[in-house]
Amino acid sequence: MIRHLLQRLLVALARLLVLGLATLALIEFSFVVIGDSEQHVWSRGAYGAVPQELAPDPFTWEGLIRVRAVATARVLILVIPSVLLIGYSWGILGARLRRYRLARLLAAPFAVFACVPGFWFAVLVAVYSYFHWQRPGFANDLVVERGPDLLAWWHASVVALPAMAGAAAWQIRAVAAVLERETTRSWVRGYFVAGANDEEIFYGRAIPRAASSLASLLDRPVAAIVGSLVVIESAFRYPGLGSLFVESVRLGSYPGILLAALCLAGMVLVATLLRELISSRE
Amino acid sequence: MINRRPSRWLRSLSLIAIRLWQLRRVLVLVMLYFSLFGWLFSGDRAGDVRPTELYGIRETPRWREPDRDHWCGTAVNGADLFELSRFAMATSVSVAVVAVSAGIALALLLTMLVVFDPEENRFAWIERLSATGVILPGMIVMVILTGGGGGGLLLVIPGLASLVALMISPLLCRWFREGEDGFEIVAARVLGLSRREIVLGRVLPSVLRRLPGVFAILVPVAMLAEMSLSFLGFAGDRLSVGVMIARGQAYLIEAPWMAIYPGLFASVVVMAFSLLGWRVSAALRTGPLPPLF
Repeated sequence: MIRHLLQRLLVALARLLVLGLATLALIEFSFVVIGDSEQHVWSRGAYGAVPQELAPDPFTWEGLIRVRAVATARVLILVIPSVLLIGYSWGILGARLRRYRLARLLAAPFAVFACVPGFWFAVLVAVYSYFHWQRPGFANDLVVERGPDLLAWWHASVVALPAMAGAAAWQIRAVAAVLERETTRSWVRGYFVAGANDEEIFYGRAIPRAASSLASLLDRPVAAIVGSLVVIESAFRYPGLGSLFVESVRLGSYPGILLAALCLAGMVLVATLLRELISSRE
Repeated sequence: MINRRPSRWLRSLSLIAIRLWQLRRVLVLVMLYFSLFGWLFSGDRAGDVRPTELYGIRETPRWREPDRDHWCGTAVNGADLFELSRFAMATSVSVAVVAVSAGIALALLLTMLVVFDPEENRFAWIERLSATGVILPGMIVMVILTGGGGGGLLLVIPGLASLVALMISPLLCRWFREGEDGFEIVAARVLGLSRREIVLGRVLPSVLRRLPGVFAILVPVAMLAEMSLSFLGFAGDRLSVGVMIARGQAYLIEAPWMAIYPGLFASVVVMAFSLLGWRVSAALRTGPLPPLF
């Protein structure tokens, strides 16, 4: 077990290294080869202190990344468990009642919401909050001094909502598709002939047999969620890693781009690692 | 009279009629698809209209609230927002269609490079490349590429196409592998058909048949990605729904319709393409695709 864990950790580290090099190559290609920048990724002058546009208060890169990562982690803590919970429970229910095409019905509200551009949702929230509370956007001037910072969690939940919609719709359909495929296999007829009823076959046989395929879906929506956060955080002006990444690209700050991209990719990598470890235990 | 055989023409016609009847669902969807395309691309072309002209700050703005003449209101210079949104969506759809088609073609080319290789793990490098590549979210790659390169369609289209190719190629590999494991393929091998004959004559047509489903599913996703890039300001200085919403935010209090209605229009069009995409995918039994971007 420990050997396997170390092996997967080594693979994850190698992947992170490859992604870091790929990101550097992409920055060099887009900023220097296509764009008009004269700063190469290997020149030392490109890696200075944090620009004032990224952080008005004096910050080190480490401190800035930590603050932004906490804000993004807050959103991901809300999004990923919700997607998994909704995706697996509704997907299983949809597959169980597949004769009524319930999977599509259950996924429909999320799928419709996923068609709404996330940045437009941010505009709607701003319009609503202005005409109802006379405050467009988040109340960033309010500071919670005592007790749990519920205001930060409220902001995170508003950002999480559009990011969750598309991923949940995909997860419901993917879980239902895996189970529906499993229940159309030939062994099901054998159990019917032997006298087993629907529920015994579905919950007692089909789900355990499809467990490894279901486990392989654990990390699939994470990359899409993180990708959507890049746009949604910028639209909401939410101070997370996604908005730091976009601001760094606008300013042409290579350390900001590299650190934010690697942190976001690292979150996907952790999800992949967890999935690999869970799948290997099946 | 009873034993008279129908003519060759009549038989061909009846075969065509039967084939069309079998494809009736797909044909209806294709007609709906083309109707949607036709509607988006019809009407007066706004031509070389630039967002700065439409949304530039003026001393006496000529905007108008939504009314019977202008369903979505007008922009700062008095141009109808409904027509502008339609023009902007037509551009987004064009970008998505070209990028997704190029991406699928590239993925097919990549897969076909190794498909005749007799080795058992011939698809391994494609799958490894994709497994590592998908860890860096597609939107991050697109933002670096377009943000650093100064934006523009010439960057957005190849970028989206490469991402689609990276995501879709393992799926094509799986379809080829499943196709070669089928019962009729084993029978063909026993009958002495060569590997080349089997792949080109049996497996490839079944893979190609599913590709329109992949295309139909990916087009709305690519549209959303293109709109997101233009919202962030990384898709060049041309009219897009993302740019319209981003610029409309400046007038959120005085003229909120400028940011609200283009987004509503875009959501409805993306929803229509998504619904059609799901139906096409279900009719062609494409199966679920991995989430993109």
